[in-house]
Amino acid sequence: MVKREPYAFGQLRIEFDVQTPVVHGPAATGEERRIEAREDALREWVRDDALGRYRPLPTARTMRPGWYVRCEPGFSLDDALEVIYPLAVRHQRMLAEGTLRLVSLQRVFDRQSGRYRAAGKLSAAGREAARRVLCNRCVKVPLWDGETAGSKDIPCPEPCSLMLSLCREAALWEEAPPAPAPIDPSVAWAAFDEPGNEIRETYLRERSAPANEVGLLR
Amino acid sequence: MSRALLLAGHGSHLNADSSAPVYAHAARLRERGMFDEVRIAFWKEEPSLSRALDGCDADEITVVPVFMSAGYFTNEVIPREMGLNGRKCCIRGKTVRYTAPVGGHPSLARVVVQRALEAGATGDEALAVLGHGTERHRQSEANVYQQSEFVRALGAFPEVLTVFLDQQPGMMDVFDLTARAEVVVVPLFIADGWHAGETIPEGLGDLREDGRRLHYAGAVGTHPSVADVILELAAEAAAW
Ligand code: SF4
Repeated sequence: MVKREPYAFGQLRIEFDVQTPVVHGPAATGEERRIEAREDALREWVRDDALGRYRPLPTARTMRPGWYVRCEPGFSLDDALEVIYPLAVRHQRMLAEGTLRLVSLQRVFDRQSGRYRAAGKLSAAGREAARRVLCNRCVKVPLWDGETAGSKDIPCPEPCSLMLSLCREAALWEEAPPAPAPIDPSVAWAAFDEPGNEIRETYLRERSAPANEVGLLR
Repeated sequence: MSRALLLAGHGSHLNADSSAPVYAHAARLRERGMFDEVRIAFWKEEPSLSRALDGCDADEITVVPVFMSAGYFTNEVIPREMGLNGRKCCIRGKTVRYTAPVGGHPSLARVVVQRALEAGATGDEALAVLGHGTERHRQSEANVYQQSEFVRALGAFPEVLTVFLDQQPGMMDVFDLTARAEVVVVPLFIADGWHAGETIPEGLGDLREDGRRLHYAGAVGTHPSVADVILELAAEAAAW
């Protein structure tokens, strides 16, 4: 029997107990907690971060540490990965096959209506800062922005709804710049309109910093 | 010919429970084994509407919007994000059918009645269908009135009212709309989120002081029987 090698996938580490895949969350001190090999149990576990905050972006680098799930018969490794990182395996495969369609940020803006139409007004510098601040907090590689992914990376073919939401807020901030506030970890991860939100405050700091300082903040 | 069922929901960047009913209905439908694949997609969560078809292997895909009313999301956002043009189209070699939303189907009326009975109603009360409503989208209001009509047609309750959270007649007026001593309010909502779980019961609780009795049901959208409504929509679409 061929021994399968462990590998990293986003924030996960996939190991094999003989032939049984075991998915481990980020490392932690102490004993790992076993999560039931069931779609709903696993989804509920990865839904919140270590602070108990909802993770609307499954690929955000906010996964709580110290857990594992053994992929029993009836709940395959692909099933587990689909719950944790929806479509990630599929997009990896499509990229390898050359069938992954890429959609640019501009095209996503162009098709918006309603409250998200405002996102398209964001300046080029604002778009760049939004990509840097948000995508750097995500395990995916934004191919839509011209980056290239290796075979082990998780490709991002199209800006996600969080990116659209951040760009909308950022476009409004360009019209009426808000005062910066200290980061408050109790503010919801995606509440970009709330002072203290980590992503909002990082973005505002980047945009107000002189250009040569921005590199230091990356 | 393999077949996929794809449930399209709203999802939320802030409320973890908003998508729970969509996952629950998908799991129920998967268990029934009537489709080769049962998948989900959201406007504000992953997998996104715009990439959902990437995850489908089947040759025929039926997209059912898990929304309570037709309107901006079902008429504009879902078709645009998924690239659908019309109720039946071909996308990258696959046949994609797009049904009306769950909330517009006549068989949802049975679920409304079930919810009312589960809340302690006996069939002698006035049943008030509670919709969200919005002055901006009249179609949403029309859907709620239409669903009340379907409930009325079942004849399970002597009186069927329609009230709204965000427009007139408001839910706080529910006892002014009927002479009956007891009213059962059934929220035509997808999830027991902030509205159906907290705001509405709190608001209605104030009305109980005048001695008249109010029963408050859980959101229609979380009822397991919604899975049957989804199957009916898919079956009707298969004939197109
Ligand atoms: S757009 Fe950026 S943050 Fe969103 S999923 Fe893609 S890489 Fe991640």
